[in-house]
Amino acid sequence: MTTVTYDAATRIYPGTDTPAVDRLDLEIGDGELLVLVGPSGSGKSTALRMLAGLEPLDAGAIRIGERDVSDVRPRDRDIAMVFQNYALYPQLSVADNMGFALKQQGVPKAERAERVRETARILDLTPYLDRKPKHLSGGQRQRVAMGRAIVRRPAVYLMDEPLSNLDAKLRVQTRTEVVEMQDRLGVTTVYVTHDQVEAMTMGDRVAVLKDGVLQQCAAPSELYHRPVNLFVAGFIGSPAMNQILVDNRRPLQVADCEVELDGPADVRLDGGEGTLTLGLRPEALRVGDGPLRARIRTVEDLGSEVFVHVALEHRGANLALVSKMPAPFTGRAGDDVGLQIVGTTYLFADDGSALGSGTGRLQAGEPSSAGRSQ
Amino acid sequence: MAQETADALRVTPGPVKTGRSVSASWRLRLPLMPALVFVVLLTQVPFVMSIYYSLTDWKVVPPGPREFIGLDNYQKLLHDHFFGNAAWVSVEMTVASVLGSLVLGTAFALLLDRKFFGRSVIRTLLITPFLMMPVVVGLVWKNQMFSGLYGVVNWVIEKLGGTPVEFVSRYPLLSIIIVLIWQWTPFMMLIMLAGLQSQPSDVLEAAKVDGATPVGIFRQLTLSHLRPYMELGILLGTIYLIQVFDQVAVMTGGGPGSTNLPYFVFERSIGGGWAFGRASSYSIVVVVASIIIATVALRVLSQLLRGEESA
Amino acid sequence: MNDERAVVGERRWVNAVFGLMAWVLGLIFFFPVFWMVLNSFKTEADANTSPKLFFDPTLDRYRDVTESAGGVLSFSQAFTNSAVIVLVSTLIVLALAIPAAYALAIRPVHKWRDVLFFFISTKFLPVVASILPLWILARNFGLLNTRTVLVILYTGMNLPLAVWMLRSFFQEIPRELIEAAEIDGANLRGQLTSIILPMAAPGIAATALLCVVFAWNEFFYAVQLNPVSGSTVPIWVTSNVSTRGDFLAKLSAASVLACLPVVIAGWLAQKRMIRGLAMGAIK
Repeated sequence: MTTVTYDAATRIYPGTDTPAVDRLDLEIGDGELLVLVGPSGSGKSTALRMLAGLEPLDAGAIRIGERDVSDVRPRDRDIAMVFQNYALYPQLSVADNMGFALKQQGVPKAERAERVRETARILDLTPYLDRKPKHLSGGQRQRVAMGRAIVRRPAVYLMDEPLSNLDAKLRVQTRTEVVEMQDRLGVTTVYVTHDQVEAMTMGDRVAVLKDGVLQQCAAPSELYHRPVNLFVAGFIGSPAMNQILVDNRRPLQVADCEVELDGPADVRLDGGEGTLTLGLRPEALRVGDGPLRARIRTVEDLGSEVFVHVALEHRGANLALVSKMPAPFTGRAGDDVGLQIVGTTYLFADDGSALGSGTGRLQAGEPSSAGRSQ
Repeated sequence: MAQETADALRVTPGPVKTGRSVSASWRLRLPLMPALVFVVLLTQVPFVMSIYYSLTDWKVVPPGPREFIGLDNYQKLLHDHFFGNAAWVSVEMTVASVLGSLVLGTAFALLLDRKFFGRSVIRTLLITPFLMMPVVVGLVWKNQMFSGLYGVVNWVIEKLGGTPVEFVSRYPLLSIIIVLIWQWTPFMMLIMLAGLQSQPSDVLEAAKVDGATPVGIFRQLTLSHLRPYMELGILLGTIYLIQVFDQVAVMTGGGPGSTNLPYFVFERSIGGGWAFGRASSYSIVVVVASIIIATVALRVLSQLLRGEESA
Repeated sequence: MNDERAVVGERRWVNAVFGLMAWVLGLIFFFPVFWMVLNSFKTEADANTSPKLFFDPTLDRYRDVTESAGGVLSFSQAFTNSAVIVLVSTLIVLALAIPAAYALAIRPVHKWRDVLFFFISTKFLPVVASILPLWILARNFGLLNTRTVLVILYTGMNLPLAVWMLRSFFQEIPRELIEAAEIDGANLRGQLTSIILPMAAPGIAATALLCVVFAWNEFFYAVQLNPVSGSTVPIWVTSNVSTRGDFLAKLSAASVLACLPVVIAGWLAQKRMIRGLAMGAIK
């Protein structure tokens, strides 16, 4: 049973005040693929390196299984790591690269060769066993890096953005292979990426980090449909969720329209100070003949779907929104259109925390001084 | 090829940190110990001994008692104008050679920075003086180049219509400086060449597209890029040139106005003076002066290192 | 990187002019060496008259200097001494400096900058300052006129430079390679042999070469501590200057022999040494 536990793990770089990783609590189950995702500076790589033993802990603890490894050297933790730049030993052949750790552990030559051969077969690396890394393509090097980790059969795999250096197409292809492999081997894996698409497609659960603090850790669909704060809502999903500032009173107003919201969030409007944020995913906004007038700025036609970028005046400033429409779409830049809400509407408080969601609907409101201004 | 691989593989070069136990820090120090201990013993022990001798009146020949006389030597030193002369000669010699070789070295580096036929041959020839033995260089220049009777330099002077000069006798300090410049130009050239070739080519290309002239590019971009390299060249050059002994010994034997501090101390001690006490006091003063200069220089150095850290 | 400088639009002749200038200036700069080699093949009479370009070459001078001149020091003795001293001291330097560089670059001790400063600062101490105590110590330990004392001193002389240069070479090694090796279970020895040494091999070679150059050419310590039997090549060369009669041709021959090993080594390893000096010194 190899679980991984971060217990209020903290890391503060010397000379800085804010922690790079701030009291991180995570429980990763046996055989789970957990993705750590966040923008740069979020602490995700640091958190991974703390697990590897490449960064010391300033507070808290990290456990692998039942064992507290906070002070244990990397080589004694029974982990294997795949680096973003692969870190292949340049003067060793592919076979020697993969067998390096086994050699350090004193595994006898015959067994070593056998395990290397087997892993090479799984990864389609057999023809390259005698080559040096400089004679390999990026994709091949990536597989060698994976192979080096796999051949060790460790308790935990650590992966630090292993796909980032591949070109887009190869990345998508390799993504699936990595997931299948992890599934088959059943080894607990901690995977770091900055790409939310990768996170959503690969992880059993995804942990979103910002400025060293864990925002939310849940299954991908949970993150998408029930984000716990504005950051997660805006980070997960592409194009990003539309965010509209609204006053904290009934009825909610967008430009000169009112939003009818039915759901628990509706209850919370207390007419107090502060600005709330209304969240609409692109697929929840429809461009057509709805009540909210707007002008099309650009149309991105991807073939199977169309992203329509619109702009309107709201609260005295320019508001840009994105709508996802099914193909075909006949509107063009410059057209005047009407918007309507057709899906989940989210509401976020002043501090970004989620107030809830519900079905929303726009309707033309009483012309009032708030909203449109010339 | 390996370099490209290493470049491609690299994210950030830098130290690796692991673990936090106390015993770990001792394990970190251990590999450093042998080298450190060796250098400490070899440099600090003689230094302490020198301090002790400088406080005595020890003369080795004729052998006499070694009496403690406190700071007497230092007092005498303050009035010793031979010492002052030697110090001044050291300054002249060092400054002239460092600057001379820097300028010449930069000039050669600029020439070698371009591709031309036989470039590596010329480069090979140019680095040779630096590889040669200082005593050989001194003797060869003295007897072959500067000789009043059949020196090559005088042959050229005669051909140009001038009168031959016995360089080493007439201009001892200048002769030594010329030789030092000749020998250290390759060193400066290599450093400046490294600087020139490390200029990011895209910045230069942008400047060309923007319409800058070669002179303009040199003055505004290249010179500022080369500054740390020049500083390094000056630093390292000074460290070595301040201690020049070989050329002085074989060319002029400390002749008029060419005795620098190392040769001066040598003369007063094992070179014939045998006044170990007095000589030690000179040494200590030189050391103190060097430390002061070094502190200044090290400030420059630390900026270089700090620049590297943030890079 | 920036090897190509001739670009579109730059007139061909500009480059040619610079190339020509480089050739002329380079040859002038190299001239003293060339002339020295030429002189070594002349008779004393030829060498000591107005500069002669054409003459009957002879190997006699070489024979003169290599035959055991009665008295002080023979050619083969001097060369053997130098070779042994230089080789042994360079090996010791590497053996001490490699772990030290590891401790300063790869797994740095906390005060690594201070330690580096200290190493460099020992270079600021004038050699002349320490010669008296060293002489006395050498005499007390019976090490005057031995090879051992020079081995020790040359090691100390080259260590700071070696530590400085090796440290910056080790720094070049991508951090992740060391981390990967660490995770793969390699201890210090394993990391050194499998990764660091192979990758830094060119840098180590450059450092070793520089140490050899400085040790081989060193004169002061050698002449102060070893005037007689443990003597080295620099001293042997100076013994070829005599006050009676002409000696320029003989001196030239001796000089050529003395400088040849290091110059040839420097020429062959030129690229490596340049890279080493540039990287080691710059960074």
